[in-house]
Amino acid sequence: MKTACSYLLCTCLLLLPGLSAPAETLPPGVMRIDGITAPALKLNDLDGTPYDLNATSGHWRFVHFWASWCGPCRREMPSIERMISALGESELEIVLVNTSETEDDVFTFLGIVAPDLLPLMDRDGKVTEVWQPRGLPATYLVDPEGRIQYQVLGGREWEKTEYLEFLRGL
Amino acid sequence: MRITGQYLITLTTLCMLLTSTHAAAIEPPYRGPFVENDDLLMVLVPRTPEQMTAFYEARGFPKAALEQIRKTCFVTVHIENKSQRIIWLETANWDLAVDGERIQRIDKQQWTNWWNDINLADANRSTFGWTQLPTVRDLQPDEPVGGNIILDGNISQFDLRARFYTGQDKRDGMLDIQFRDINCPKEEPQP
Repeated sequence: MKTACSYLLCTCLLLLPGLSAPAETLPPGVMRIDGITAPALKLNDLDGTPYDLNATSGHWRFVHFWASWCGPCRREMPSIERMISALGESELEIVLVNTSETEDDVFTFLGIVAPDLLPLMDRDGKVTEVWQPRGLPATYLVDPEGRIQYQVLGGREWEKTEYLEFLRGL
Repeated sequence: MRITGQYLITLTTLCMLLTSTHAAAIEPPYRGPFVENDDLLMVLVPRTPEQMTAFYEARGFPKAALEQIRKTCFVTVHIENKSQRIIWLETANWDLAVDGERIQRIDKQQWTNWWNDINLADANRSTFGWTQLPTVRDLQPDEPVGGNIILDGNISQFDLRARFYTGQDKRDGMLDIQFRDINCPKEEPQP
């Protein structure tokens, strides 16, 4: 009887970890954060069309800050374009924010590396400053309720399967 | 400024190489002195005044700002956390010295004062800020960081001792990295 009880106790102890929620497996560089409300993001795009992040709730947003002078941003941008193509009809909305550059700088750069992308223009850098990225490039994933749920560190190869699967799973 | 082929090549190369405050993993051969161990990689890349003024000029900085930049010594720093614990970048724990005498780098407040004096545009201030090394950063496992530290342009050579606390609560020991005889490159004399 004592042996049986010990066996039962051991079995229960072994099973206990399985009762808790499984740990979230995230691709390299993706950090879960505490769901803080995303700061305001109201800017015009390269064509002058106004955009307001708050007006686009109801689906996940991929908010990406970059500048053409930054080496990692330059390397990452074509990867973002390929990611968009691979995601196809995904509801994930891609929001690119250029930090503190002119239309000429951005047009010249994107025309070469990612001509289909249309960024928002944070001409004086004030919106970027409010978001307080750890550096450039910086990516945030904003949930349908407008909360930042993930922050992504540095430039990433977004077209890789692990990132695509993660983004499709949002 | 007269635009020459050499200038354009230099500028293009610099734009490709200049690291942001976040950077990304870099591959050897490194372009300057470096220390690499199981915990971190740290690379220093001293820049000439010509390189830096060309970069900022291309970003629309006015002549008065370029003149101030030309008087200084920029060193681009790249750090990567190669460990599985937090490494604390805190430049307050770094010592810079010339011939054994401690020196101060030109800090953010000093630049802000200069920029106020010349009424530098917000966009230029923002760009300048993003090209500087953060003063504090809890580097996560595998996270890189990069940016410039800036010294007085009269300095020819200096030593750097960088200390980094490790661990979530900074109690997992300290990393002590030392560089000696780092050069501040001077502008090429005009023919």
